[in-house]
Amino acid sequence: MTLMENLFENLRLELRRGCLTLAVLLQLREEHYGYTLRKALAARGMEIDENTLYPLLRRLEAQGLLTSEWREEEKRNKRFYRLSAEGAPVLELLLAEWQSLNAAIETIRQQGKGE
Amino acid sequence: MEALERYLEAVGRHLRGGRREDIVAELRANLEAQLDDKQAELGRPLTTKEAEDWLKQLGAPLQMAARYQAQRYLIGPEMFPIYWLVMERALGWAAAIYAIVSLVLLATETPNAQSVVDALVRLPGVLLWVAAWVTLIFALIEYGAARDPQKWQGMLEHAACFPKAEFTARQRSGLHGKRKRTLAHAVAEAVFGFLFLVWLLLIPQHPWLMMGPGAAVWKASPFALAPVWMTFYWWVVAAHALQLVWVCVELARGTWQKKHGLRHAVVKAIELIPINVLLYAPGQVLLVLRDPARDGARLGATLSGWNEGLHKAVLVIAILVAAQIVWTLVNLVWRRGRGEAE
Repeated sequence: MTLMENLFENLRLELRRGCLTLAVLLQLREEHYGYTLRKALAARGMEIDENTLYPLLRRLEAQGLLTSEWREEEKRNKRFYRLSAEGAPVLELLLAEWQSLNAAIETIRQQGKGE
Repeated sequence: MEALERYLEAVGRHLRGGRREDIVAELRANLEAQLDDKQAELGRPLTTKEAEDWLKQLGAPLQMAARYQAQRYLIGPEMFPIYWLVMERALGWAAAIYAIVSLVLLATETPNAQSVVDALVRLPGVLLWVAAWVTLIFALIEYGAARDPQKWQGMLEHAACFPKAEFTARQRSGLHGKRKRTLAHAVAEAVFGFLFLVWLLLIPQHPWLMMGPGAAVWKASPFALAPVWMTFYWWVVAAHALQLVWVCVELARGTWQKKHGLRHAVVKAIELIPINVLLYAPGQVLLVLRDPARDGARLGATLSGWNEGLHKAVLVIAILVAAQIVWTLVNLVWRRGRGEAE
């Protein structure tokens, strides 16, 4: 990997970090367990490694943004996650922030084109 | 599958605390589901080689387990700039103090190349000690911050000094006296408190650390300190060690911002103990003759005069310290009466 590629990779990871949390919270408006959540996100273009996603779920739950319960499905015990009542307003705020950032970036980009 | 079981077992070994089984069970459920999908796609079970390759993609068990740990650093990015600033200053001061001490030592001894080399060789060790203490203190703060982030957030906002404009405005309005103690100030207190304690502990072996070149003159004089001074010395060390522990506890608990009238009063009260040790020295003797048989007749009267003068000086100091304690306590009671936080 060249120096520039390495730099791009670091910046890309930094950019994705916050987006992952937002994507996970959005997707967990429906109940999922870890693996189906990963598949659902990947199907919508948001690939996340297992070693990032599964610990992230734990952290979001510890922060009160998610709730979870162990339940049997297809003869296996699985831990199902869902957006918590406390997490819902936080998600709304994060979405508003995301849209505001997106609009700002787009405005700056258009301005750059016009000059 | 054997490879998956080995992987999960290895992850479990690197996990700590009561959540270990829960995390491993959840990981097992997710990975088994993933494995089922892979095998369904292939229409056959994975070979051992394929299974191992797949597990390698998940990352080493240690890395997987580490992702579940809440805190994976000693000092986080928010704290790091303050840590670095304090570290630079502490190392700078330690190097300067060491240089001065070494120069005095070289000047009082017969200077030779070996002494200079020895002094230089010892310097990295001294700096490492200082760095280790600064790091330990900040790691404690970071640990406290990780356990109670809300409480610490506000405190961290005050950690750095005020911007110059705000500081000047505060000075103008006379508010600077009410400014809270900053984190940098509290850490500096702990670091320099430790250095001071080390300095205190070195004095009995190296009196020049306190008296400079005067130590040689004192050693050659016919007078010596009475044994009561050793009791005094150890009380001073104990009082200082207590104060140092107190500062460290405040840092660990995140309470360094508070005004410490009570601590000030307690420390002053403890300082009264060594002063009283001198005040009630047997026969009010603070100085003795190294060789009474030889110098008793010649210097006996001088010695009595000095002991009398020293006793009066200690009495005055004791009165002043007692007055300071009373003043601190009165202030403390008055502030509490007005509802101000201590």
